[in-house]
Amino acid sequence: MNGPGVAWYLAVAGFLFGTGSLGVLLRRNPLIVLLSLEIMLNGANLALIGFSRNLGDGGGQIFALAVMAVAASEVVVGLGLIVALNRKRVTLDVDRLNTLRG
Amino acid sequence: MVWGAWICLLSPLAAAGLITLGGERLSRRGAGYLSTLSCFVAFGGALATFIGLLSRDGGDRREVSTAWTWVSGGSYRSGLEVMIDPLSVFMMLVVAGVGALIVAYSIGYMDGDVEERRYFAYMSLFVFSMLLLVQGGNLLLLLAGWGMVGLSSYLLIGFWHDRPSAIAAAKKAFVMNAIGDATMALAFFILIKQGHSLEFGILGGEFSSTTANLVALGLLGGAVAKSAQLPLQTWLPDAMEGPTPVSALIHAATMVTAGVYLIVRTHAIFESAPKVADLAAGLGAGTLLLAGLIALVQVDIKRVIAYSTMSQIGYMFLGAGLGSYANGMFHLMTHAFFKALLFMAAGIVIHALAAEQDIRKMGGLRTLMPRTYQAFLIGSLALVGIFPFAGFFSKDSILAAAMDHGTYGYILWVAGLAGTFLTGLYTFRLLFLVFWGEPSAFVREHFHALRRDVVGVSMASTVGVLAVLSAVGGWIQFSPWWHPVETWLQTVAEPIVSPKSWQEWLSIVLSLLLGLSGVAVAYLMYGVRTLAVPRFAFAQRTLEHKFYFDELYDALFYAPAVFLARLLRRGIEEPLIADSGRDLGDDTRDLGGLVARAQTGLLRTYALAIASSVAVLAIIFVAVK
Repeated sequence: MNGPGVAWYLAVAGFLFGTGSLGVLLRRNPLIVLLSLEIMLNGANLALIGFSRNLGDGGGQIFALAVMAVAASEVVVGLGLIVALNRKRVTLDVDRLNTLRG
Repeated sequence: MVWGAWICLLSPLAAAGLITLGGERLSRRGAGYLSTLSCFVAFGGALATFIGLLSRDGGDRREVSTAWTWVSGGSYRSGLEVMIDPLSVFMMLVVAGVGALIVAYSIGYMDGDVEERRYFAYMSLFVFSMLLLVQGGNLLLLLAGWGMVGLSSYLLIGFWHDRPSAIAAAKKAFVMNAIGDATMALAFFILIKQGHSLEFGILGGEFSSTTANLVALGLLGGAVAKSAQLPLQTWLPDAMEGPTPVSALIHAATMVTAGVYLIVRTHAIFESAPKVADLAAGLGAGTLLLAGLIALVQVDIKRVIAYSTMSQIGYMFLGAGLGSYANGMFHLMTHAFFKALLFMAAGIVIHALAAEQDIRKMGGLRTLMPRTYQAFLIGSLALVGIFPFAGFFSKDSILAAAMDHGTYGYILWVAGLAGTFLTGLYTFRLLFLVFWGEPSAFVREHFHALRRDVVGVSMASTVGVLAVLSAVGGWIQFSPWWHPVETWLQTVAEPIVSPKSWQEWLSIVLSLLLGLSGVAVAYLMYGVRTLAVPRFAFAQRTLEHKFYFDELYDALFYAPAVFLARLLRRGIEEPLIADSGRDLGDDTRDLGGLVARAQTGLLRTYALAIASSVAVLAIIFVAVK
């Protein structure tokens, strides 16, 4: 098989996932949080496809497609929420959106 | 011809349904008319069936009509079916005929009651249930009817539901009957286990003697409870809390005699368990004496008649237990006539005296209401068994049958004869106290005669019809000479005793003499009052407490149950269950408060929690791998 080995792909996937998680944990703007989530999902997708290639099994790629579909719908809902929040002139800061506190 | 039976069965049900659904749209009188009409239609159906059967050969008088399969499971199946044979037609005629008269009487008696419609719906329901009981084509349907008459009896005893005593009496009747229902159900379970069927035919099959005895005992338990015989007799006197026509129909003429019908219907199993049959006869004899004695001291007009009912059903049990089935059934029929008559005449008296039932306050009604007095007199003479009234023909042949049953039979015979003396005494004590002498102050103050309107006519005419039936209804059978009832029922239940002619005549003469002497003693004590009423404080107290049966059951069952319940409440429920429930609630709330603190509402703490959990899981996963 040509090209870099599976470990490289995994390294990039892990990097993407780590970047995304840090974004989710550290950023306070919901738009960025959503964006970071997408990066995490893409990291996971990359890992899936890398394994799929390595094992010669198409299941991982199919799964990645499914994840993309879910991610797309999730973005629609998430962006919808953000737009709604913005229209109500609520500060776009996830730390201030804490009315669900028990 | 089977259609007659279906019409007979379903028309009272239809009336009950119509009255229930019609509600206010039906006038109160209209409900009464509808109910009466349905009973007369039922009687017409029964009559058509009877005529149809009469035109057939003796051996061909049985027909089963199945509507559909009702219950099936494994090899077992029961159809929703009616059976017509001489016995069921006999009962149909009695139930629908007497039922129609009594419901017609109710139009007058219940006039003006606020809940007349409910009353007539219940009455129709009862007539339907009773017809289902006697027409049911298998034991399961019989049990269904059995339970439903119990239900309608409960509803009607407690009809005046604003009286606590009526509610208590209804509950008592229901509980006592439930004991019988349970033993019957157990007997049926045994039958299903051993014979895989609840058809009537299964009863004549081969069973081990233990099985036969158990089944017969279970059936006897049901019969004893429904017919208020020893030892489950205590509910019947209390059941007099219901309206008087209810007492006449359910607690005198039809439902309470269902036990006799049951024994005759299932006679095959009693014949394979002769000891249980003897027990049935013995219980009947015991009850007839006990009830006759208690009736001597009762002061409530309806209760005296109620005890007399128990006593007369004792005679029927005696006959049916000894295997003299036709005589038991014949007495059932004549008893339905004269006991309904007595209750309804008593109802007129109660009606005329503003609902007073205490006979000590009555007296001298003979001159005020001569017709009622005559009807009551006919009923009393028929009850005591004086020639030529109905009771004379039916009671004596039961006594004669007892003489054909060895030593045990003779003991029962003596008991039965003693019972006729008691019958004469208590019946005419009632008659003399209520109707003879001078009108008491109470009577003069409260008496008002029946008017010639619908109320008066409905009450007087039905009592008149029953008076005629009580006078001549017994003539259809005179056992030494002619016995059409016995011939009619022969194909269903062949008698197993056949008294000789001299035994018949001896019983007739002796019981007539004893009955008359009872009347004579009553005449001397209560009629002309030349003989002082003997006073034995102890006996009087015992009788007034009905031989302490209520107290005994109270001490044996009620008090221990209450004691146990109190003990469990104090020892287990309060410390363990009640407190632990509260503690559990408190603890859950505290825990909830604790968990609620984790809900910060901060999105990033949640994300951190998830991420760190996943990280920990991943480390564990890797380490374990």
